[in-house]
Order: sequence, then C-alpha cells, then structure tokens
Amino acid sequence: MASASSAPGSRGWRYGLRILFGTFVVFLWGPLFLVILLSFQGPTGGLTFPMNGVSFHWFLQLLEPQPIGDIWGSFERSIILGLMVMVLTVVISFLAGLAFRARFKGSTLVFYLVIASMIMPSVVVSLGIGAGFELLGIPRIWFTSALGAHLTWTLPFGLLIMFAVFNRFNPAYEEAARDLGATGFQAIRHVVLPIVAPSLIGVALFGFTLSYDEIARTSQSVGPLNTLPLELQAMQTNVTTPVIYALGSVTTFLSLAVIGVALTASAIMHGRQKRKGSDAGSGLV
Amino acid sequence: MSIKDKLNSGVSRRTVLKGAGAAAAVGAASTFPAPFVHAADPITLRIAGTGVNQFKQLADKAKEDLGINIQYTSLTSDDVVKRAVTQPTSFDLLDSEYWMLKKIVPSGVLRGMDVTKIKQYDNIVPIFTKGELPNGSKVSLQGVSPIKVSYLKDEVSKEFASEPTQWMTLIPTVYNADTLGIRPDEITKIKGADFKVSSWADLLDSDFKGKASILNIPSIGIMDAAMVCEASGMVSYGDKGNMTKAEIDATMKVLTEAKKDGQFRAFWKEFNESVNLMASGETIIQSMWSPAITKVRSMGVPCVYQPLKEGYRAWAAGLGVPAHLSGKQLDVVYEFINWYLSGWTGAFLNRQGYYTAVLSTAKAQMEPWEWDFWMEGKPAAKNVVSPTGDPIEPAGTIRDGGSFWDRMGSVTVWNTVMDEDRYMVRKWNEFIAA
Amino acid sequence: MKKFTPYLQALPLSLVFLAFFLAPLCLVVVISFFDYQAYDILIPDFVFFNYEDVFSSQVTYATYWITLKFCVIVWAITFVIGFFIAYFLVFHVETMRWQIALFLLCTIPFWTSIVIRMISWIPLLGRNGLVNEALKGLGIVSESQEWLLYSEFAVVLGYVHLYTLFMVVPIFNSLLRIDKSLVEAATDAGASTWQTLLTVILPLCKPGIAIGSIFVIAMVMGDFVTVNVLGGGQVASVGKAISTELSYLQFPPAAANSMVLLGAVILMIFALMRIVDIRKEL
Repeated sequence: MASASSAPGSRGWRYGLRILFGTFVVFLWGPLFLVILLSFQGPTGGLTFPMNGVSFHWFLQLLEPQPIGDIWGSFERSIILGLMVMVLTVVISFLAGLAFRARFKGSTLVFYLVIASMIMPSVVVSLGIGAGFELLGIPRIWFTSALGAHLTWTLPFGLLIMFAVFNRFNPAYEEAARDLGATGFQAIRHVVLPIVAPSLIGVALFGFTLSYDEIARTSQSVGPLNTLPLELQAMQTNVTTPVIYALGSVTTFLSLAVIGVALTASAIMHGRQKRKGSDAGSGLV
Repeated sequence: MSIKDKLNSGVSRRTVLKGAGAAAAVGAASTFPAPFVHAADPITLRIAGTGVNQFKQLADKAKEDLGINIQYTSLTSDDVVKRAVTQPTSFDLLDSEYWMLKKIVPSGVLRGMDVTKIKQYDNIVPIFTKGELPNGSKVSLQGVSPIKVSYLKDEVSKEFASEPTQWMTLIPTVYNADTLGIRPDEITKIKGADFKVSSWADLLDSDFKGKASILNIPSIGIMDAAMVCEASGMVSYGDKGNMTKAEIDATMKVLTEAKKDGQFRAFWKEFNESVNLMASGETIIQSMWSPAITKVRSMGVPCVYQPLKEGYRAWAAGLGVPAHLSGKQLDVVYEFINWYLSGWTGAFLNRQGYYTAVLSTAKAQMEPWEWDFWMEGKPAAKNVVSPTGDPIEPAGTIRDGGSFWDRMGSVTVWNTVMDEDRYMVRKWNEFIAA
Repeated sequence: MKKFTPYLQALPLSLVFLAFFLAPLCLVVVISFFDYQAYDILIPDFVFFNYEDVFSSQVTYATYWITLKFCVIVWAITFVIGFFIAYFLVFHVETMRWQIALFLLCTIPFWTSIVIRMISWIPLLGRNGLVNEALKGLGIVSESQEWLLYSEFAVVLGYVHLYTLFMVVPIFNSLLRIDKSLVEAATDAGASTWQTLLTVILPLCKPGIAIGSIFVIAMVMGDFVTVNVLGGGQVASVGKAISTELSYLQFPPAAANSMVLLGAVILMIFALMRIVDIRKEL
C-alpha cells in the first residue's frame, strides 16, 4: 500500500502540493468564514454586508424559541436521520460491494438502477415517493419515507466508492484465511473488514453529510415535520435573521471540538499501545 | 394600558367566566368556549403553508385560547401547491394564495367552507365577498381577482361559482398591494436628486443596468413584466392576467432583450433573497414585498416602496380546508377560523404590514395610533415596533403609499394563472436559456 | 449456500431501490404519457406529445448544450484539482490519522447547512462583498467585479466547490491500492515525477477517476439548485427547466423531460464504462 515514504518527487513537488491543498481548504472554507463573520452582527444586522455592529446577540437568540421556524426540532431530526442513514449506508454498501465481486444474475440491472437514482432529478424522485405513498395511503414520516429517499441518494455513492475500495483487492488475504480454517463469514469479519475499515469511515462521513444537506429528495417525502435544510429553506419565505448564521457557526465549532477530541483520544490510545509494545490494533494496513 | 396588558386582563377574565361565552366588557377580549373543552383531549391541527403566516406566537395564542395544538409544516411557495395537489391528506388546513386555487380546486382536493358557520362572514372585507372596496368601488378584475375564485358551486366541487354561494374556498388571511422597491440613495447618485421613480417602466431604465431584479415565481414575475411592458408602451394587453399567445410572445421578447442587455442582476424566488439583494446593494430597483422593505430599512439601509402611477399588483392568501376532513376535526377547523377572524391575529398581521380579512375586529385589538399608521396612512405617533420586538420605523414616518384605501384602491392587477400556461412555461424556459 | 451469498448480500440494496426508486420511477414513466391542461393537471391517457415536445423544442437543445458545457468544464477542473489533492493525501501525508484529519477538515464546511452556505455567496462574491472589497483594497481593480456572482463563472465556481470532494474520494481509494513497489521501480528506473505520474500512477487509478467522473456528471446534469442560486435565475440548465415545469404543476412534461435526461446521462455513463470497466477489476 502506498505511503508517504514512497513519494516520488523533489521538494518542489512537496511544497507545490501543500500549497494546492492549503488553497483548496481555504476555498472550501470561504463561505463558512463569511457565515462565522456575519454571525457576530449586531441586532439590526441582516444576512449580508453592511455589517451592523458586533455582538453576540444572535447566538443568544439561537437559544430562544424562534418566532418562525423550528430550528432546534428540525436540527435534531436532521442529526438523527443523518446518523441512521450513515449506518445503513455503510452496512448496505459494504454488503452490496461484496456481492458485486461475483457476477450475479441481474447485477448489471441493479448497477444501472443505482446510477439512475443519482441522475434522476431529486425533485422528481421526491414527488414520486410522496405521491406514490399518498396513493397507497401510507403516511409520510421523516424517519421512514424520507429515510428511504435519502438512501436512494447516498447508496449510489456508497456503492460506487466500494467499487473503488475493492478495486484490485487482493483475494490472497481471504484465501489465506480460508486455508487456515475460517468460514466465509469469519474471513470477511476478521480479514476484509479491518482492511477496508478506513474507507468505510469515509463512506460513513459521505453518507452523513449527503443526508444532512439533502433538500430536494426530502421535500415531498418527509411528511409534516421538516429536516433542518427544509426548515431553513422554508424560513426564507419570511424574514430571516443572522440567527441561522449563528447556527452555522455553532455547528462548526461543535464539529471541530468533537473531531479534535476524537483525534486526540485516538492519538493517546495509539501512544499508549506503542509504549506497551503490543502490535494489536495496528493491523489496519 | 398597553395592548399587552389589555389582552392579558382579557385572558384572566375569560378563564374566570369559563364557558360563559359572553363578551368581556372593556378591552376587547375574544369570546370563545374555554380551552378546557379541548384540554382533556387535545386536537392537533396541521397547517401547511409558507412562513408568511406561521408564527409561533400565533400557535401559542391558539393553544392558550382554544386548547388546540397547531403543527406547522413550513414549505417554500413552490412546494405549497405541489403538496396540496399530490398529498392532500397530509394537512388539515392549507395556507394558499388565491391564484393557486385555479390549480388546486379542479383537482378536487379542496372543500368549500360553510359561510353560515363563520361568525364574522359579513365583516370580511368585500374585496373577497363582493369584489368591491368598502366604499363601493369595484376592484380590478385583471388576473385572478379573489372574487373570481372565492366561491364554489357546492360543498365539494371542482368548479368555481360566478356568484357568491354558501361555500367559500378560502378564508382570507393576508393580502397586500405590491409595487417596486427602490434604493433612493443609490438612484439619486445615478440620476440626481430631482429624479423620482414614478412608473413601472423605470425597471427597464438603462441607467439601472445590472441593478434590477424581477420575481422568478410563476404567476407573479410575468405580471410584473406585463406592468413594465404596458407602462413603457411596448405591449398592449386585453387582460394582463390572462394573456394570449401573442401577448406572451411580446412580453417575453421584451424581457429577453433586457436580459441580453444585462439589465437584470438576478431574479429572486423567496422573500429573503429580495431582502439580501436590496440590502447588499446588488440591486437598486426590483419587485418586492412590503415586509421586505421594512426589513431592509430596519437594517439601516434606505429603501422605499414606491407608489407608481400605473398602480399596484395585488395578491391575497387564505386558509382552505382539504376535502378529506370531516367530523370532529372539521368542527375544530371552524373553531380555529372563527378565532382567527376575531381580532388578535388580524392585529398581529396588520402590524407586519399585511392587511387582514376582518378589519373591525383587528382595529379593536390595535392601539389607535397603530391603526392610524398602518391603515390610515397617518404619520406614526410613536416608534413602530414589530410583534417580535424588532424596530420598524421611527416616529413621524408615513407608510409608503399611504392608507389602505389609497393602496388597495389603486390595484391594477392580481397575481394570476393563465389559460396559456403550457405555452408560457415553454417561453419562460426559452427566456432563461437565451 | 455459497452460490446464494452474492444474492443475499445484494438484497438490502435491491429492496431499498425497489421500494423507493423503482416504484416512483414507474409512476414517473406512466405520468409522462398523460395528457394535461392548465386547470386539469393530470389526464390519464397514453400520448406521445410530451416526448415529441421535448425533442422538437429548440429550448431542449439549447439547455442541454449549456448543461453539457458546464459538465465538461466542471469535470475537467474537478478532475485536475481532485487528482492532485488525492495524490497529496496518499503520497505526501505521513499517517492515516493525518489523512483522516485532513479529510475531516475538508468535510466540515459541508456540515453547515447548504441553505446557509448558498446565502453566504452574496457577501462573499457580491458587489459589496469580501472578495471585491479585498481586490479594491489591494488596488488590483478599481471597480467591483460583477461577473463574480450571478454569472456562469459563479455557477462553475459553485459546482467546483461542491463536487471536487466527490472526485477526491474515489481517486483516493484507488491510489491507496497502488503497490508502492511499482512506483519505486519506476523511480529507480530513472523516471521523473511527471513520468511516473503519467505512465504508472494515472493508469492504475483509472477506475477511481471513472467513478469520480460518474459522480460529477450525474450531479451536474441533474442540478437545478446551484445553477439557480449562483446564476441569479438567469442561467439555464436541464434540471431548472424541469423544475420550472413542476412549479406550474405541469407533471407530464416534467416527467417526460426527466426520462429524457435519464436516458441521455445513462448513455454518457455507458460510453464511459466502455473506456474504463470499473467492474472488471473488482
């Protein structure tokens, strides 16, 4: 497996790539930076410049019940839905990725069906689900019909990434495991899974992010209670204040905090293991 | 005593007079069966609509006065119509605009409301019940004038009645007269202090190139375009609200040329976008909604809702009942509607710059100086503050456009749906792709 | 039992798609053959004119041309940037923990809801926005650059912003699989970095590139939100045309348009698969 020490290229490459990456990160963070900046507006501020004073007013407003729009309720729903979608996406994509290693009947059909789901305008899929459920008399709820709608969006990504993951995946590991007496299931659990685990984390992140940000596919299939992006979008039909920017800032700080803690914890654990001299857990290739 | 104190005292008196149903003496409290009727078995009313009318304070007050839970489903303007037609069982009340009815009613998803059950029916502004202003003058019939779609032939019907019947489609909630919003400071910089924006045609003034905007919502944007085209003499119309193919072609041609010239900075679809465009200086003249002007002004940016000589474009929204509703739930809906028209809500909405269905009850719940400012077009005696506490106007200001009668009386056209819908969509898509 | 394993493994996926995609898709197909009027939005029928309208209208070709243009430009930019970012992460980042950390750094902005980010483009790129003020302050320009926002430039920028990561992830996964001894062999044989890149690394991560391309193509072709917000409602796209029809509740033509879009993009991807068969190397 490739790693840093095998990097071809001179120092020029190294710095060039670092600058590229740095610029890319700044580019990605650009709008977010604006959001954080403007969330410190004064009480008469709006969503754009001119900036009217500096204050924590909107952060305090965030804690109050909102005059229009249920921010915290929909935020909670978005998080829970996102986590559910994340778990399901990882499990289902992993299994399906395994399936596609063998050529089974109908695999091409399933493949193109999955791709079609990515292409079909989300709004149309959403109407299809919403209207379809209405015809069948099934109520639309955010954790059932919207969950399904989200999965049709995240699973294509999950599945295709699994293709990249299993790309040239060396069957020798599984064969070796089987030679040593493992069943198919054990081979997958103890050999395949640990090897692809980092990529699965990537799929999980993808799945959560896609679900958290999803609007069009959710709009007609969510039922009466909105997810966060839908609620925020609906709030656009009336006066919207920098309180939503404050929400953006808060979620960013929270994410940074959570990730910082997780990474520090893992660094500490890794360090502890190294000191103890065991190589358990370092089997992640 | 402030409004708040008056209302609070009304509440406490009412809970003492449980079930008495008698009007409280002074201070205009609403007269309602006490909340305890529903407290044991709370009913939830699901209201689907846009954020214009979905205030938490409203829901709280309904809970307090009636014991009903209000569950809002907030949707974008687009989604309201889609949801109404494809998923009617997902709501108990629909907050819809009058022009949407032309699509919704033929689908059979709406039921008429029995006007005999509506206490304040006779006091509803006659724009909706007779097609007249309170002083008797007729309201413009161009576009989907509410009187054209206010009544159904029967309780559950797919057809509109041409005369008032017992069955009303929507109970009016909010309505207003729209015009162009401008940045007077920026315009003065470009045109000098003597110039006054006075006509819809000014939207296409080449001095404003790259700084104009128009609505992108179907049924509304095209109307603004029509006002502009007619004002500038480029197109003449029979009924701007129902254009022929030739008129559509002519209008879109004007728009396309303007677009190619770079006249428009952007189009906007939702309320908030219009605020952002104006406040950030991206545009200086655009279609706009009244509360958006107040919001921009409250940010310290000068902004004026400019009365124009050709008149206003008006719109109206209301609450409608889906056909699937019946029994107890339907009774609760009537209760809610009667409460809605009893004054507190009317006053609440009036204070945001909208007009409401029953003026007399709303007036009773507003301070005289508030009424004078919002409705009579008189200078504000005190600082005007929104119901959510945000400052709106300093004392001494006059509402843009003046009084209710001035504004609603100068309405030229209503938001609309046209018979040549199909053709228009194609033309609009062409225009965007040009 | 072993023979059935793939079927069992593919079952959850298939079930989800059957219920939540195939069924709605069938509904869409059926509706695309319905008739419609301004006030009678769905008339059950079996007519072809919706499809005829799509293929005979000048608008269709104009919008497809514009959308395809975006697709190619965005693909090219995201490919170049995405490849080098993935390359950096795989070959120049020491530990896996750092790789994850840097990934997370790139993902965090996407946890600020898209609605909020869409609004923030105005204060960033607008006439009185941050970028323009910076440019003016540094003396690079004397007037605000209006083409930064509500233009085709802005739309492309928005797409690159949103979709580059979709290129990075598959290419990253593909690059991980490259046996480092191959790279070492090339360097030992005297190849420069560019040569190694072009002759060894690039061919080996073709599946990853193909997958990333599928993502970008599918999303750009079907998008209407980004193009609407950043284009100021004045830039066309196929998705936007469909969404306009839906706003008018014109379901049958919207359905027909969607099916045509589906067909067109599937053809594009089918062609792509002929060049790189991503399933061959599983």
